[in-house]
Amino acid sequence: MSAAILSAHNLVKHFKAGGWGANRKVVRAVDDVSFEIAPGETLGVVGESGCGKSTTARLLVQLLAPDSGSVRFRGRVAGTEMPLKEFRRHVQMVFQDSYASLNPRMTMLDAIAFGPTVHGTGAEAAQLKARDLLDRVGLDPARFGPRYPHELSGGQRQRVNIARALAFDPEVLVLDEAVSALDKSVEAQVLNLLLDLKRERGLTYVFISHDLNVVRHISDRVMVMYLGEVAEVGPTASLYADPRHPYTRALLAAMPSLDPDRRTREAPLAGDPPNPIDPPPGCRFHTRCAQAFAPCSQRRPGDLAVGPHHIAACHLNDRAEAAA
Amino acid sequence: MTQAAAPLVEVENLRVRFSGTPPVHAVNDVSFRLAPGEVLGILGESGSGKSVTLKTLLRLLPEHKTRIDGTIRVDGRDVLALSGRELANHRGGVVSMIFQDPGLALDPVYTIGRQIAETVVRHEGVTMAEGRKRALEMLERVRIPSPARRLENYPHEMSGGMRQRAMIALALACRPKLLLADEPTTALDATVQIQILILLRELQQEFGMGVIFVTHDIGVAVEVSDRLAVMYAGSFVETGGLADIIRDARHPYSRGLLAANLVGAEPGTRLDAIPGAPPALHAPPLGCAFAPRCAKARPGCTEGEIPVWSGGADRWARCVAAVEEAGQAAAVAE
Repeated sequence: MSAAILSAHNLVKHFKAGGWGANRKVVRAVDDVSFEIAPGETLGVVGESGCGKSTTARLLVQLLAPDSGSVRFRGRVAGTEMPLKEFRRHVQMVFQDSYASLNPRMTMLDAIAFGPTVHGTGAEAAQLKARDLLDRVGLDPARFGPRYPHELSGGQRQRVNIARALAFDPEVLVLDEAVSALDKSVEAQVLNLLLDLKRERGLTYVFISHDLNVVRHISDRVMVMYLGEVAEVGPTASLYADPRHPYTRALLAAMPSLDPDRRTREAPLAGDPPNPIDPPPGCRFHTRCAQAFAPCSQRRPGDLAVGPHHIAACHLNDRAEAAA
Repeated sequence: MTQAAAPLVEVENLRVRFSGTPPVHAVNDVSFRLAPGEVLGILGESGSGKSVTLKTLLRLLPEHKTRIDGTIRVDGRDVLALSGRELANHRGGVVSMIFQDPGLALDPVYTIGRQIAETVVRHEGVTMAEGRKRALEMLERVRIPSPARRLENYPHEMSGGMRQRAMIALALACRPKLLLADEPTTALDATVQIQILILLRELQQEFGMGVIFVTHDIGVAVEVSDRLAVMYAGSFVETGGLADIIRDARHPYSRGLLAANLVGAEPGTRLDAIPGAPPALHAPPLGCAFAPRCAKARPGCTEGEIPVWSGGADRWARCVAAVEEAGQAAAVAE
């Protein structure tokens, strides 16, 4: 995949979490994360709270500066080789909280037209475009255009946020838990909208969610994160059918079964995900992994190809390969 | 799940209305029964009245702003007539409740052990020492590691999953006959959620208590329930055994919810989504509240009594189309 549209190269982001000198605490939110996204593809990113998926999203759209590493858009490093203003025309983001991400004192039409106006589009052209977009996301511009955020429901606001993200005709949309706060019936409507828009405009999505059902439905490839690292990444079908990292297996086994005759008997993992402050050494999952063996607590596992475009970072696969 | 002569919970024609401008008709004519030791899952979206129904069973709603009509009997007692000491005995003694956010439900300034012991002392009149013994026993039962040490913890010293276990221990400390669960796993990570669901299932069997479990997540409901009720706009629209609803839903709203939960959906294809949004309930809905969003709606749906399709004891759906479809199927069969 040399023709990646968006790629992350060894991204690292640590946050200070109090303490001084030797007691300084650091949250290792994202630690050496690399991946590529092909044009027109949807990459799903899953993981539990504290795994770094939202930090990854913010790094991807350059809302946060990485401690080290880079994000490239069509091979050009964002922020240096490609000015941020240009980068943002191509890569846009939709957040989880539909209310917090809209200016409460701006009408929906103004909110959508704001970005293009800043980037030099004439006021009238921007308003026209905003009307088109509102209409496209299923909101009547005459009715909803003059409204303020508090006058809309959560699902309607999220449609506005999607319309606003599309105002630049971007190529990539980063969706950070964009449907998680919505009721199921409304979530289905917004998922349909995202699928339609992708088809119409050839969009590329980075779809971040904790809901494995939704991710399976919408993604071409899935990346599983654990405590700031990539545990496994692969094509959706093969990752769900044949997960090669024990953590992915546990996540899948923890999904409610939806089959009255086959309820989940045993929880795949005990305890809560550990704190990303001072993550365990070696493989970060080894403290909760039933199959952990000697090297897991000592060496960080490398990324090993376990199938076509399917990579897992687990010592078990090293061992399997050595035996073969 | 036979309905024994004396059900644990008997709710008839329950209506809850919040006064205010505008008023909200949160629960509109809900009737159901729960047998002792049975688990009823109430499935609905935000604003469907599922949490209000639960809170009514514990009389937790603000009295001066709430009008409750209908009858509620729990363990033979008329809940709406309780007051003072009797009501306090009812809460926590006969019926207890667990909430979505244990961080808010637990008292931040007392240790977990103290909170549990206090409850036991209040309801059973034992000494504080005995109360603490029960607290330790309860922490063991909810499988909190090193329970003796955890007794001395304040809620903020525990992780989310641990806090939820502590809240369950608190709720079950006095052996209630009925446990009300209001989305207790919604705020938890997936791998923790399944641990809590399995724990609740085990404790329910161990204690033999009735449970009403409210959730918006069908997957969660399937893991814990014997019977399901689907709620929309303050009313039950369909109820039945777990498998009946999951495999053979009759109400268009239930079917829409199942589709939205991606039951049997082909990846990447458009979903059979329900259009629109739930009504605001400023006035009691006329006819079927779902009609404006329903693909099968017809003129009769928005006026008068909606007929009920019935498929046996406690298996029904309130829907014109469901009744017609069942009639056609019967005609074809003949």
